[in-house]
Amino acid sequence: MRLIAVLFAVAHVSGVLALWPLPRSLETGTNALKLASNFDVQIDIPHAPSDLKDAVSRTKSLLKSDKLGRLVVGRGASDHNTLQRSGSLRTLRVSLTPGSPVRSITEEARLAIGTRSEGYTLQIPSDGSSATLTANSTLGLLRGLTTFGQLWYEASGEIYTMEAPVSITDSPAFPFRGFMLDTSRNFFPVADIKRTLDAMSWVKMSQFHWHVVDSQSFPLEVPGYTELASKGAYDSSMVYSPKDVEDIVAYAGARGIDVMIEIDTPGHTAIISAAHPEHIACAQESPWTTFANEPPAGQLRIASPATTNFTAGLLSAVARMFPSSLLSTGGDELNTECYVQDAETQADLKASGQTLEQALDVFTRATHAAIRAEGKTPAVWEEMVLEHNVTLGNDTVVMVWISSANAAAVAARNFRLVHGPSDYFYLDCGAGEWIGDDVANSWCDPFKTWQKSYTFDPLANISASQAHLVLGGEQLLWTEQSGPENLDSIVWPRAASSAEVFWSGPGGDLNTALPRLHDLAFRLRQRGVKAIQLQPMWCALRPGQCNIDS
Amino acid sequence: MKLLALVALVLAITHSPAEALWPQPQSVATGSSTLLLSPGFQITVQGNHVPGDLLAAVGRTKQLLVSDKLERLVVGRGAVDAPSFRAAKVLSRLTLSLGKGASFASLTSEAQKAPEERDEAYHLIIPKDGSGASITANSTLGLFRGLTTFSQLWYEHANTVYTVSAPVTIEDRPAYPYRGLMLDTARNFFPVSDIKRTLDAMSWVKINQFHWHIVDSQSFPLVVPGFTDLSAKGAYSSSQTYSLSDVRDIVSYAGARGIDVMVEIDTPGHTAIISQAHPDFVACAEASPWATYANEPPAGQLRFVDATVTKYIADLFTEVAKMFPSTLFSTGGDELNTNCYDIDGPTQAALNASGSTLEQALDVFTQKTHDALKAKGKTPVVWEEMVLVHNVTLSKDTPVLVWISSDNVKAVAEAGHKLIHAASDYFYLDCGGGGWVGNFPSGNSWCDPFKTWQRSFSFDPVANLTAEEAKLVLGGQQLLWTEQSGPQNLDPVVWPRAASSAELFWTGPGGNVSAALPRLHDLAYRFRQRGVNAISLQPEWCALRPGACDLTA
Repeated sequence: MRLIAVLFAVAHVSGVLALWPLPRSLETGTNALKLASNFDVQIDIPHAPSDLKDAVSRTKSLLKSDKLGRLVVGRGASDHNTLQRSGSLRTLRVSLTPGSPVRSITEEARLAIGTRSEGYTLQIPSDGSSATLTANSTLGLLRGLTTFGQLWYEASGEIYTMEAPVSITDSPAFPFRGFMLDTSRNFFPVADIKRTLDAMSWVKMSQFHWHVVDSQSFPLEVPGYTELASKGAYDSSMVYSPKDVEDIVAYAGARGIDVMIEIDTPGHTAIISAAHPEHIACAQESPWTTFANEPPAGQLRIASPATTNFTAGLLSAVARMFPSSLLSTGGDELNTECYVQDAETQADLKASGQTLEQALDVFTRATHAAIRAEGKTPAVWEEMVLEHNVTLGNDTVVMVWISSANAAAVAARNFRLVHGPSDYFYLDCGAGEWIGDDVANSWCDPFKTWQKSYTFDPLANISASQAHLVLGGEQLLWTEQSGPENLDSIVWPRAASSAEVFWSGPGGDLNTALPRLHDLAFRLRQRGVKAIQLQPMWCALRPGQCNIDS
Repeated sequence: MKLLALVALVLAITHSPAEALWPQPQSVATGSSTLLLSPGFQITVQGNHVPGDLLAAVGRTKQLLVSDKLERLVVGRGAVDAPSFRAAKVLSRLTLSLGKGASFASLTSEAQKAPEERDEAYHLIIPKDGSGASITANSTLGLFRGLTTFSQLWYEHANTVYTVSAPVTIEDRPAYPYRGLMLDTARNFFPVSDIKRTLDAMSWVKINQFHWHIVDSQSFPLVVPGFTDLSAKGAYSSSQTYSLSDVRDIVSYAGARGIDVMVEIDTPGHTAIISQAHPDFVACAEASPWATYANEPPAGQLRFVDATVTKYIADLFTEVAKMFPSTLFSTGGDELNTNCYDIDGPTQAALNASGSTLEQALDVFTQKTHDALKAKGKTPVVWEEMVLVHNVTLSKDTPVLVWISSDNVKAVAEAGHKLIHAASDYFYLDCGGGGWVGNFPSGNSWCDPFKTWQRSFSFDPVANLTAEEAKLVLGGQQLLWTEQSGPQNLDPVVWPRAASSAELFWTGPGGNVSAALPRLHDLAYRFRQRGVNAISLQPEWCALRPGACDLTA
C-alpha cells in the first residue's frame, strides 16, 4: 500500500497538468483508470450530425494512436502495478442537454462571433462506470471530446489516466481564439493548412485567419477574377482553387474552426498589377523603402472609381467562397508617398475634388458595402480606426497589431477588437532581418516566447464597460522567412499559449503551465505535428527543476 | 534566331546560373551556352583499384542529377530556358581521374586524415560542345569535392536536365582545412537518420568536420563498451542511445561523404548525468539553486581531484577513442564552476590531503586524460577556457575552440595554439529563440540576437591576427546547442544558415552578401528538393528576383 500511495503522490504532480487549455473548472482524483480494450463512445443523440460522428471516430483513433508515455522520469513504466488493480472505462456517453438544437459542428462553428456555444461538462467516474459528456451544442461536445483526448497516457500496452475521477465544467473566456497564416510571402500546400487546423482544434482554437494574398503573390483563384491567380501566383501549382477552399473550409468547420479570409486592401496589393496594371499605383517602384514597408511596392488606386468597383466586385466574389460571417478587408500600412507620386491618382483626386483621406473613405464604404451585401461583417487592421478618418460600421471588428498599447484606443472608439499585437503575438519575430544586403535584426525583435504571450492581459487599460468589446486574440505567422519547412516548428507549441489565454482567461501561472505545455508538445509530436522542444528533455521530465529560481 | 538571341540576352541580364555554386569555387569561368545532360549520361573513373566509396559517391551524384528536378530561380522558372534546348549540345560523359603520380586511397581514409593533411583540391572542365567533361585531382577526396560542384550546375525543365552556363572551367581548393558543424545530442536526442541527413547536407556544401557534442549534463546517450552503465542510467530512454553499431554506421556514412567525426566528451564540467551511474564521481550533482553551481540545470561536475575519477575518465576516453577513427577528440573544458567544488566535501578533503590547489588538480586531471588520448593516437581539442581561464599544461598542437566571443581569438593565437572559430557572436545557431528557462517571461536568449546567415558570412577569420598568428587558424564551424531543438526543427534551424560558414572557410572571407544571396536561395531550394527542410530566407518573390529585395533596391 505504501508503494501505491507514493505513486499517487508522484502522479498528482503531472497528470491533470496535461490539459491545454486548462478548463475553467476542474476536479480530479488520484485513482488510476484504464481505458477498456472495447472502449466505445456512445452518441445519445437522435440523428446525430455526421461531423459529430466523425469527431468521435477521430477521438477514438487518437486514444489508440497517441501512445504518449507520461512525462515523468521512467515515463510511466512504474504505473504497471497500479493499473492491474484499477477500474476500466468502457463507455463515454455523449449527449446534448434536453431542448438543445441538433446542428452540425460546422454550422455551430460558423455562427457569428459571440453567439457560439462552446461549453461542456465532462464526468469520468473512477469505478469504471460510464463517463458522460454533455453540452448545449455539438460544438461544445467537440470541445469536450478534445479535452477527453488529452487525459490519457500509454505504458505497458495500457491506455490510462492516474487522476480519476475527473469532473470538468468548461467554457471559453473569449470567443475569438485564432491563428493567422500568411500564404502569400511563401506558399503552403493544402496539406500543411489542414495539419495546422488539426493542431488548432486540439487546443480549442475557433478561428483561422487566412491572410491569403499580399503584394508578393496572389494564390487564391477567385471565380470571375481568375487572372489574378494565373498571373499573380508563384506557379500554377501554387494556387488555392475554389475546390481547395471548399475543402479547407469544410475541414476547419468539422473541427470547430471558422475561416476568416483576408483580402488586404488597399495596400499590400502590388501583385494585382501583374494582371491589372491599371489598378495599381507605384507598382514595383524603386526605391521600395519610399513606397512600402517591404518589397514590392504597389497599392490599389483608391481614388479611381474603376478600381473601387473592381475591388468591390472582387471582395463580393471572395465573400461567396467563404461561409464565415467575418471577412477582413485589411487596411494596414497604407503608404501616402505612393499616391503622391502617382499621376493617375493625383488626376483622379483633382477631378473629384477629394483629398486622399476622403477617397479612402469612399473606397472603404464601397468595398464594405459590397461584402455586407453578401452578409459579411468586415474586419480591419487597426490603422483604419486609429490613423485614417474612414466611416466604419459599428460592428466592424478591429485587429490590433502594431502594439498592445493601441488596444485601449480602439476600445475607446467603441469598436470590437481582436488582439494580435506584434509585441506579444507575432511568431515571426527574432529570426533576423530578411531584407538582402542588411545585417540587422528583425523589426519586432526579440523572439516572442510562449511565456511572453502567456503573460498577455486582454483587458489591460480597458474599462469594465468596454471589456465586452474584446472578442479575443490570435498569434500570427507572417511568412517572409517561413514555408512548409518550418511551419510546425515556428508555430507549435507557441501558438497554444494564446489559445489558453483566451480560453481559460488571463493570469495563468507560468510555473504550472510549463509541464502542461511540454505534455501538449509531446502529444502534438505523437500526432504528427512537429512541435519543438521548449527545454532539454531532462527538464520536461522534472517539472519545475529548470525554472530560473529552482 | 531572333528569338534565341533574345533569350540569350535575357539570360545575360538575369543572374548567371554559375552563381548557384555553394561554396563559391576559388576560380570559376563560365559561358552562356545551354548544354543538356544526356539521358544516358555516364560518369566514369579512370585508373585501377578505384575505391568503393568513390564509386558509391559517383552513383549518388548520378541519382541527384536525375532526382533534383530543380527549376531555375528566375521569373517564369525553367520555361524561360526551354527555347534554347533545341539547338543545345548534349553532354554524355564525365570522366574522373587522378593527377600523375597520385594513387587511389579510399575517400573515407582521406577524409579522416588530420585536417592539415587533407587534399581537397580539384579541377573541373565542362566543354560547351558536348565533348566529355572531366574532373581531375590528386586525391579521391578532391574528386569527390568536384562531383559535389558538378551536381550543383544542373537544372531541370520539361524532363530535360541542363545548364545554361557552358562552358565551365573551375579550379578549386579550400581556404581552410577545418570546416565544421557541431550538433549537441545531449540536451535533446536525435535519431541516427537525422544525423545522416545532416551529414548529407554538410557534404553538399563541402563541410568536412562533424563535431559531435554527444553527451552533456542532461543525458548520456553514447553506449561505450565497458562503460554501458553511463547510458543505461543516463540516456533519456533505452531507445534514445547511440550503440557501437550506430556509431560505426554514422562514422562510415560521414567518411564516405568526405566528413571526419570529432567526438566530444565534455569534461570536467557538463557531466551531471554521470552521477546516475556513479554518484561518487560527481560534485554538486543536481544541487539547488542550480544557478549558483552551473550555467544551466542540472548542476554537476566531475570530482577531478579524486585520482579514481581521473583514472575512470582516462579509461573512458581510451574506450571512446577506439570507437572513432578521427585524429581529433574533444575533451571539452568549458564553463567550469568553482562554487561547485567549494561546497563539495570530498573535493575539499582531497585538496587538503594533497596540499594542491583546484587549478593544480585540474592540471593533473587534464594531463592524465590527454595522455590517455595521445596514447591512442589522438590530438585533444579543448574549449577556449582551458587556455584563457585556467592554468593547465597543454601541448601546443592542441587545437582550441573559441566560443565565448570572437574577441577571444587573438588571445588564443597569442598563446600559440591552433584554433577553430566557433564564436557565439557569429556562429551559434540556437541564439535568438528566447529564454528556455522556466518561470522567466522576460527571458531572452543569452546570446541574442539570432545570428543570420549574413552575420556569419561577414566573419573575418584573421581579424586582428598577425600573419604568423593567422597560420594557426584551422577553420571554423557553426554550432547547434539543442535546449530548444530536436528532430522537429533540426533542418529549419540549421539550413541554409550553416552553409554560410561553409563558404566562408572554403572560399575565404570577404564574400559579397548581395551576390551571395541568390546563390544561397538556389542552395536552399536544392536542399528542399533533396529532402532537407531548409527554410525560406525571403518571400519567393524575392528569390526569383535577385537584388529586388535588397535594402537599397
